[in-house]
Amino acid sequence: MNWFYARWGLIGGVALLLTILTYQDYHTRLSTVPLQTMPGSSSSSKLVRIQGMVKSGTLSGDVEGGQATFEFTEGPVTIPVVYQGPPPENLRELKVLVLVGHWDAQTNVFQAQDTALLNNYGYVAAAYGVSFLALVWMLFAMSQRVMVLFKEIKESKLYEPEVDSLAKKQ
Amino acid sequence: MINRFIRYIQRYKGWFGGGAALCLLIGLYTGLLASPPDYYQGEVVRIMYVHVPLAHTSLLAYSVLFGGSIWYLWKRDPLVDNMCQAAATITAMFTGLALVTGSIWAKPTWNTWWTWDPRLVSFAVLLLILAGYMMLRRLVDDPDREGKYAAVLAIVGGVDLPIIKFSVEWWRTLHQPMSFSTRGVSISDDLLVPLLFMSAGCWLLFAYMLMIRTQMLYLTELLQAKKGRLLSQTHFSQSAQ
Amino acid sequence: MPKNNKKIAIIVSVLLIAGSLGYLAFGNFGQNIVYFVTPSEVKAFTPESYTKKVRVGGMVVKGTVKTQAEPVGLTFELTDGATTIPVTFEGIPPDLFKEGQGAVVEGQWMNGQTFHSTMIMAKHSEDYMPMELKRAGVELPKKDFMKTLSQ
Repeated sequence: MNWFYARWGLIGGVALLLTILTYQDYHTRLSTVPLQTMPGSSSSSKLVRIQGMVKSGTLSGDVEGGQATFEFTEGPVTIPVVYQGPPPENLRELKVLVLVGHWDAQTNVFQAQDTALLNNYGYVAAAYGVSFLALVWMLFAMSQRVMVLFKEIKESKLYEPEVDSLAKKQ
Repeated sequence: MINRFIRYIQRYKGWFGGGAALCLLIGLYTGLLASPPDYYQGEVVRIMYVHVPLAHTSLLAYSVLFGGSIWYLWKRDPLVDNMCQAAATITAMFTGLALVTGSIWAKPTWNTWWTWDPRLVSFAVLLLILAGYMMLRRLVDDPDREGKYAAVLAIVGGVDLPIIKFSVEWWRTLHQPMSFSTRGVSISDDLLVPLLFMSAGCWLLFAYMLMIRTQMLYLTELLQAKKGRLLSQTHFSQSAQ
Repeated sequence: MPKNNKKIAIIVSVLLIAGSLGYLAFGNFGQNIVYFVTPSEVKAFTPESYTKKVRVGGMVVKGTVKTQAEPVGLTFELTDGATTIPVTFEGIPPDLFKEGQGAVVEGQWMNGQTFHSTMIMAKHSEDYMPMELKRAGVELPKKDFMKTLSQ
């Protein structure tokens, strides 16, 4: 009986560890800074990720060749962007996406060097959470029931011969 | 005396449980952490590693129910009936989760939680069939008739399996076609690894759950039979006094 | 549960199952229920169908997407390889909407000239790969998009 709970405790521990690791990974790899903080900030070569929408009618340049200028907007704030990097697979007008780059305080332009898709990680967390919680809960309940049943049957040895003959009749 | 097969299950089920845990752990690690995002969908492609295995495990699970039902009609073994009942409940769980994860995946990719696409409708029908199956089992009192009716229903419901499988090839759908087909595999290696581990994990998990639930149903009936004996025995001894 | 109620419950559950199976068998097999129509079929609509709400599936033609800022919206062309129809939409298109990819739009074939859509759904293909491979020009085997329309 103690082994049973020890095993499930181990499973719970591993699940918790995996959740923490995933959360940390999300934070280092995917978190964005608000676009509003960009204007007025000092130049820095450190790369940041900002999320926003490409404003309608502003995208120009050789997009397929990896050169583009456009206006990027989030709420009331709009900033100009110069993109220079690998051909962006996902750049179009009215698209919400993430830009990777740095703010240039001299020209007041965001210098983007890569694009990334919208980080809607909540959906991923929801899908994994729902399915694994449901499956593990069902499995735990069944296993516990079987353990209890085996124990009860062992303890009620009293009328064993009669159950045997009942089984034979069937 | 406990049935021979139930004792075999008790002896060997641990291998299945351990295997499932190991595969799912590798699948989760590679799926959530070690694999890159997709070029077109980004991070949400990770939902595929749980949705697709759940979906084809539910088809596999229903096939087990289908085969078991034929076997039961042929041999009338009460243990097979227990196995079918167990398979139905677990299949319903996998089918329901496949629908839920599919819905969660559909919102960020297709832009809708639900649409009347042939693949989605035929899959929802599978859940309806299983709900009907479980309802039927609750409603019929006589165990022999219960098993017989349920088996017939499960066999008739099997029509849905090829419809689900080929719906994306036969009809116009929003759902994407199969990634594994005669055209080849259209998933790159990096993204294939978590999918394969999660699939193997889900199959083993299904086998393990099926074993445990069969045990549970069998042992419950056995204990009831014992207690019934016990009660009638006390009743008899009381009336004799 | 009394015996009569039980019988009714059994009949209801069996009818439910039979009904859903029947829907599958006759609804879809007979092609009476089609998930979406193609641009060619839309072009062939008679005026009675102009007010009907329909779903149209096709590929977004490259270079035809034009956005507007006030009110936010866009126009584009949808094709099934043979026929192309113009589509208008008000609002922000979904995340995966893209030129050269599939889309299913819901709306009306107004006046037999333009398709006014109220909802866009993005159809994606069955190939999955990381960005590095895509940029390296790797193409994975997948079903020809136009073929997914013809069936």
